Amino acid sequence: MWLRRLSTDRIERRSSVPGEIPLIIVEPVKSALRICALNDAAVALDLKPGMPLADVQAMYPYINVQDANPQADLALLEAIADWCDRYTPLVGLDPPDGLLLDVSGCAHLFGGEQMLGDDILAGLARQGLRAEIGLADTVGCAWAVARYGKTSLVPKQASRDSMLLLPLAALRLDTEILSALAQAGFKRIADVIDRPRAPFAARFGQGFLRRLDQALGREDESINPRRSPPSYMAERRFPDPIMLESDVLGTIGQLAHELERLLARRGEGARLLQVALFRVDGKVHRLEAATGGPLRNPDRIKRLFIERLATIGDKYDPGFGYDMVRLSALTCERLDPAQGGLAGQDYQSELAHLIDRLSTRFGSRRLMRLVPRATHIPEFAVAAVPAQLACDDFAVDLVGQDSLAPVRPVRLFSRPEPIDAVAEVPDGPPVRFRWRHILYEVIAAEGPERIAMEWWRDDQGHALTRDYFRVESKEGARAWLYREGLYKQRNAGNPRWFLHGLFA
Amino acid sequence: MTGAPAILCRLRQAVAKIEGQETDLDVAARALAFGFCNIDTVLQGGLAPACLHEIAPATSRDFGAAAGFAFALAARAAHDGRHTLWIQTDFAAIESGDIYGLGCDPFGLPVRQLLILKVSRPFDALWAMEEALKCRGLARVIAELPDGGAIANLNATRRLTLAAREGGGFGFLLRHQPSLVTSSAETRWEIASAPSHPDQFGGLGRTAFVLSLTKNHHGPTGRWTVAWDHHERVFSALSLGVAQAAFDRSDRTSLVRAG
Repeated sequence: MWLRRLSTDRIERRSSVPGEIPLIIVEPVKSALRICALNDAAVALDLKPGMPLADVQAMYPYINVQDANPQADLALLEAIADWCDRYTPLVGLDPPDGLLLDVSGCAHLFGGEQMLGDDILAGLARQGLRAEIGLADTVGCAWAVARYGKTSLVPKQASRDSMLLLPLAALRLDTEILSALAQAGFKRIADVIDRPRAPFAARFGQGFLRRLDQALGREDESINPRRSPPSYMAERRFPDPIMLESDVLGTIGQLAHELERLLARRGEGARLLQVALFRVDGKVHRLEAATGGPLRNPDRIKRLFIERLATIGDKYDPGFGYDMVRLSALTCERLDPAQGGLAGQDYQSELAHLIDRLSTRFGSRRLMRLVPRATHIPEFAVAAVPAQLACDDFAVDLVGQDSLAPVRPVRLFSRPEPIDAVAEVPDGPPVRFRWRHILYEVIAAEGPERIAMEWWRDDQGHALTRDYFRVESKEGARAWLYREGLYKQRNAGNPRWFLHGLFA
Repeated sequence: MTGAPAILCRLRQAVAKIEGQETDLDVAARALAFGFCNIDTVLQGGLAPACLHEIAPATSRDFGAAAGFAFALAARAAHDGRHTLWIQTDFAAIESGDIYGLGCDPFGLPVRQLLILKVSRPFDALWAMEEALKCRGLARVIAELPDGGAIANLNATRRLTLAAREGGGFGFLLRHQPSLVTSSAETRWEIASAPSHPDQFGGLGRTAFVLSLTKNHHGPTGRWTVAWDHHERVFSALSLGVAQAAFDRSDRTSLVRAG
């Protein structure tokens, strides 16, 4: 598929009279601003790509000129590729202005290849984009036909015949090879196609022959799809776009039933699900939901997307509605049917579903399990792992640990809070401290427990040691305090005190 | 429950009765006893299951005690092996610290049974709590709200109560300050920390609480000073009288230490 006026269409689709005012797009080439793209109205004025801007302005002083913006062009191309997802899951980019669609096995869904092509062109025209399509057995042939051919449809096994009359530029060759071929008197593909190969290889390189072979189907060329095609998918199209959230969710529910049948046939369950909502005007919204274990149950799939939709709020504006909804399982795992026991009720799956739902709603990093780590730095000794990832054997029981290990607080401040503390003797526990404007009189203390930074993290040796104390105030409040550094250390100043945690 | 699940449920109960075993339903329906007879008498056997209970610190310096009391209640029932979900708003975590896994385990609550959910708004915390209470896979849900937790008003707590009734678990609402907002909670507790008795090494003794039951739907209120035994996972009386005179107990000088 060739978007022949991509750059100008990008600008013109916003204007009220697209295509009537001549527009040229310029970029600096060889120390001069030259035309790199232009619209049909500009072509009618006899302008050509490569002309210097100065010449153009001498001829037409008031012509509309814009700077080239390759990033915006590429973004538009990606958006169009997203839109093309509705025709086939295998869409590849062919920058700067082409898209490759693998429609094998998809065309009959749209009533044949001709109808498919017309549908694509009509859809793009509605979005203000001019395109040419070529449909052929090979990528090379389709590319050539889209850009240089008279017809867009090439029947099966007819690649060779259809390409005979096309110019050599249709073979996707470098300009140097093209000019070399032109000097040798070759203009059309018919001129080279039946000649002995060895002299061509010697004179123009293997690349030339490879392009020829690819176009004729003698050598394989595959499309590099932007997204890996999902293992399973179910989709529904609507002649009238749907706009209500309840309609979208209802559709997802129906699709989930279809997906369940597909998954059950192969004994698999989905780990990562995606809903793609195709908006009428070409925008595609994708919502993903991950699960902690393989999932097939349609009601639970629907519930996940209810949570997902609830969180995004107004970010996904349905605009004039969605005309297609697709539910796909991106990652799958084996899921064997489980026998429900008579003896005990199994609440595990219910819990797993709750974990999935909460993770989908609040983000998988917000629902955590705590996993101990082998370090004695208090902040790093426990890691929070997303609950969806951490299965039960992840968590090691700490109860079996040494019961004489130092007691740790139940609450730990991620950022230790500075306090004013007074210690009776240097290196001793504080006798009173003030935290958040409240004075605490210490009546009992345990400590110090000295914790220094691990030497491999502290290669400069600058980190101060911490002397931790467990203290209890007169009222019974217990806190975990530490003194950073030592009294009378070389780098002067009194050491500072911090409150790091609260005991029950 | 109708149809096949209901039949299956009846059959399960019948089988359990024949075999003399407890079903999950029996376990879930059991009240959470304190293991301390004064309180259990007032509560008619312990904290009622499938209900909402509120906890708040008496003063701002007692927050650690209030959080510890919630941990202790969760730990009391932890032997059933089911999970506890602790929901915390981001602001609550800044105010009073994150839950520290290394501290939970020695306190009696195995960290592998603990799930922690952080949310940004108190509203989300209530929503998540309601959903979690409906889930039978969770035994206890604790939601921590900063300040008085004014958002948990009569309507919100009523919803939570209904959700707890559906799921059969315990719901604990931990407010950072005592609140006068009407609520449909079954009981309401104000927790203060109490000075502990030093252990035999002169260190800090067992955690002690002053528990004030300020609201009890089915009985009198009360006030007790108790200590938490994290090893046995029971509350016991903390006599406030004169400390026991020292005497030689050479047989007990083994490695026993309270936390």
